[in-house]
Amino acid sequence: MKKAKIGNQNRHNLAFSFLLICAVIMLFPFVWMILSAFKTSVDVYAYPPRWIPSRWSWDNFSRVFEMIPFLRYYLNSTLTSVIQTALQIVISILGAYSLVHLRWPGQRFMATVMRSSMFVPMVVTMIPMYLLIASLGLLDSYAGIILPQINTAFTTFLLMSYFSSIPKDMIDAAQLDGCGPFGVMMRVVIPNTKGAIATATLFSFLGNWKSYTWPLIATTKEEYRTLPIGLRYLMQESSSEYQVMMAASVMTILPVLILFIFFEKQLVRSITLTGMKT
Amino acid sequence: MNENSSIARKGRIRLFGRVYKTNEVIVGILFILPTLAFLIFTFIIPVVDVIRLSFTNFNMSTGVMKNIGTDNYKYLLNSEDFWHSMWNTVKYSFLKLTLDTGLALFLAVQLDKNVRLKRFLRSTFFAPVVVPMVASSLIWIWFYDPTVGPFNQILQFFGLPASKWLYHESTALISILLFSLWKGVGYNIILFLSGMQNISDSYVEAARLDGASEWQLFWKIKFPLLRPITSFVIMMGIINSFKVFAEINVMTPDGGPLGSTKLIVSYIYELAFSNGRMGRASACALLLFVVIFVLTQIQSLVNAKKSIDVE
Amino acid sequence: MKKLTMAKILTALLLTATLTAGCVGNYAKQETTTAPAPATTQAPATTQAPATTPAQPAGETTKAPESTAATLPDLKGTSLEVWYAVSGTSGELFSQMSDSFAKQTGATLNLSYSGGSGDTATKVSAALLTNTQPDVALMYAGPLYTGGQGDYSINELLDKGEGVDKNDIFPGMLSYCTYMGDGVCAVPFGISTQVMYYNKDILKAAGVDMTNPPKTWAEFYTVLGTVMEKGNINNTADFTAFDTNDEAWLFKSMLMQNGCEIVENESGHIKAIFNNEQAVQVADYWHSLVEAGYMAAGEHNNAENKFLSGNLAFVAASSNRITRWNGTTSFELGAIEMPYFTQPSLALGGNVIVILTRDPAKVAAAWQYISYLTNVENNTAFALGTGYLPIHKSALEQEAVKKAIAENEMYGVAFKQLDYTWAYTHFEQMGTMDVQIKSMLTKLEKGRGGSQDLLNKAVETLQKEIDDN
Repeated sequence: MKKAKIGNQNRHNLAFSFLLICAVIMLFPFVWMILSAFKTSVDVYAYPPRWIPSRWSWDNFSRVFEMIPFLRYYLNSTLTSVIQTALQIVISILGAYSLVHLRWPGQRFMATVMRSSMFVPMVVTMIPMYLLIASLGLLDSYAGIILPQINTAFTTFLLMSYFSSIPKDMIDAAQLDGCGPFGVMMRVVIPNTKGAIATATLFSFLGNWKSYTWPLIATTKEEYRTLPIGLRYLMQESSSEYQVMMAASVMTILPVLILFIFFEKQLVRSITLTGMKT
Repeated sequence: MNENSSIARKGRIRLFGRVYKTNEVIVGILFILPTLAFLIFTFIIPVVDVIRLSFTNFNMSTGVMKNIGTDNYKYLLNSEDFWHSMWNTVKYSFLKLTLDTGLALFLAVQLDKNVRLKRFLRSTFFAPVVVPMVASSLIWIWFYDPTVGPFNQILQFFGLPASKWLYHESTALISILLFSLWKGVGYNIILFLSGMQNISDSYVEAARLDGASEWQLFWKIKFPLLRPITSFVIMMGIINSFKVFAEINVMTPDGGPLGSTKLIVSYIYELAFSNGRMGRASACALLLFVVIFVLTQIQSLVNAKKSIDVE
Repeated sequence: MKKLTMAKILTALLLTATLTAGCVGNYAKQETTTAPAPATTQAPATTQAPATTPAQPAGETTKAPESTAATLPDLKGTSLEVWYAVSGTSGELFSQMSDSFAKQTGATLNLSYSGGSGDTATKVSAALLTNTQPDVALMYAGPLYTGGQGDYSINELLDKGEGVDKNDIFPGMLSYCTYMGDGVCAVPFGISTQVMYYNKDILKAAGVDMTNPPKTWAEFYTVLGTVMEKGNINNTADFTAFDTNDEAWLFKSMLMQNGCEIVENESGHIKAIFNNEQAVQVADYWHSLVEAGYMAAGEHNNAENKFLSGNLAFVAASSNRITRWNGTTSFELGAIEMPYFTQPSLALGGNVIVILTRDPAKVAAAWQYISYLTNVENNTAFALGTGYLPIHKSALEQEAVKKAIAENEMYGVAFKQLDYTWAYTHFEQMGTMDVQIKSMLTKLEKGRGGSQDLLNKAVETLQKEIDDN
């Protein structure tokens, strides 16, 4: 018994070391990115590679603001991502609930069609989508950026996999209490899968936050442009202005990362509050 | 099995030879309507267009378009490039799927325990997901640089032979795979972690009292209960790795050394934009559709069978 | 049972969708109408220009000059939609110049960055299908979207002789602006050729006298040998003497230098000929560079980093690197004229400006705008600010140019090369050709076949694409 415990402890330490090593590898590029943001061009191309800038300079950051309306782009990215995410999550919760916990004819077929919607690469649907959006007069508008990118299939399937793990007896109990389908959703399903919904929200947000090609194609006016387009504009050809690019990247990811760290606890733990875990 | 005796017989409806609860049918269809609307808008309408285009020689830059029947499909099925890139895609997807899922599951299990620095570690693994592709690819291309890149610097420090990474046909695809693991493993870790929150502590405690080891605990309790989320991760893994494009295109434009990183969507892109043959590209996308459809169908069948086994 | 009925419902749904899509997806190109005659009512010469030249905003370090020579017409109330595919400092300079045109004429210019060359092509193609195209675009492969669609209005405007002086433009640049050998259908802007840059520190260490640089590829080959022997000053394992970051571009120039015209235009039918004897010689030379270890096999994407970190002696790269690299390298940077085989010759690359509107009033305004951007003074300023090439022969007499050459010899090299620049006409399968040449070169470098076989295969594939139309 004691021996087993020691073995366990060792295994624990081993696993922890592995975690740490992985974490260091994960962080490696970030360290490089942050350090590069303070470099001058000569430092960037130094041989052998130089990790620490020979002179710390904030110029690259101010250069970003000179070259693109960074804050405006930031605002646009945030705005479109938030609206898109909100729409997508509401639609997906309804859809996933309907597909998992309600029975109606044709739902399996519906799920198949939905899944299929993820199989076609954007490369070929982009042009037909552009024609559609143009005919609706939605080019150069927030709606034109947001609507075509709503990808309910992904979030719906994600939520379905969580919804389906809700014990049947919980739902039966609610029904015995006189809850209709809507009541079951509001009182049982949603409260018990808050963490999952938070995860889906996060993923949906990031999907839009990072998208480049569609917003570029669908917009021409500066006031609708998003961050990834701005980042691309900083890059002239291949490696030039590397340091400026890195400065912009640091500024792009920091707020999102801070938000994540802030909500991380809620994200993976909120479910414990609901009493499912006793 | 569907007959639930506790609920009255009234309020039922017979549709297509089966009995449904009326209110469930109404609410169910009502709830699915928004999804359906978006599905038509973002999927069915464009795809119908893609299907139509796949039978034409539509050229985007000149606007020429006439019907050419199944020529595009014949061309593709006889094209060496098509099969070559399909094979590359299969290779890539297999590796990515096993490594990504395996690593994510392992890390998630570790992170679910009471380890030190838990919050820090979670954020660390997730961080790469947030970085825009333009930026992360620039960093990694630099890391892989055979001459000035830190990776070779490190290899040499340990006395290992330097590698050409992205610039040699034998290592290019693996290099991209490593990059996409870095970029994507955080996604799946978060998915698994939130899936594990759904596992009731009472199961785990009960098993512990029965003297189950950590190993048994994982395979007998946690893993089966994670099945829905594992199945989702695998499904998305298949779809995304077959459709992978952005990282491939930025890391190795033009298909990489000797076409070793030309995957199917890169090939579609080349058809559509370098060669201007949108019709052919559409046909290729539909062939890809069929492949993914078959694979995910198999996956969901296997999954359904396993679920029954567990029960 | 259930499935069958559902299938029916879905079929109905799909049908509805098809109908909707049907109205949307009317791709088929309109019959090419005769290019609309540009407006004659707005002849710029007769308009008295209120030469209001507002001062540049204070504190601006802009290099875009206010044109003092040309009088600009009043274009109040006219607005032009402009897309441009140049980013970074080039993009900044371009928008500054456009702003100053807008200020001086009162025209409204809606400028929009349209992404890299590939993204822009997608965006423009999509826009043309829906008639949402910009009025003017600065883009790569522009003639495909004007001449390729039967629109040669720029040719007529040029022939009129107002604004841009056709006779002052380098002939190679004009042919860069044609489609299938027909009339000019774009105006060169942001054009470049490759320049042979070198690391002076390395060549000094190797003891090569660069005051008398190698003229032919054979002489160059000898220099590379010396450099390989004595030039590895960083002592790196993968030091090489030469590379290029755009192998297809250099290879095309080399073909031309050896008398192979790459493609022939037989009365509107393009025939690829880069598998003839001259082409094989070029491919053999290329292969010999790799075999001798002077050039790394298939690492062209890495050439720029390698050069800037001091581990590559020579690199053939776009002339726009002159401005970009100047003063940012840790070593002393130099440039020589591109070596040649039998005759000096260099393929042009880069962007052109096209007019995509068909509205006569807008075409006239767009022409004013283009004339402003490409007038000798402005175009020269853009060239010196970005390292792209001036398009006018008379630019070389400009004081600014003389001064720049005196300060930075690399400009001298790039501008001297203008004498023998050249371009093949735009044709639909240009993209395919580049893909084929690139893949052919990688195979050649990695020893996957002989020169003749590989060239034959590339030409065959390309020809099949051209004929299958």
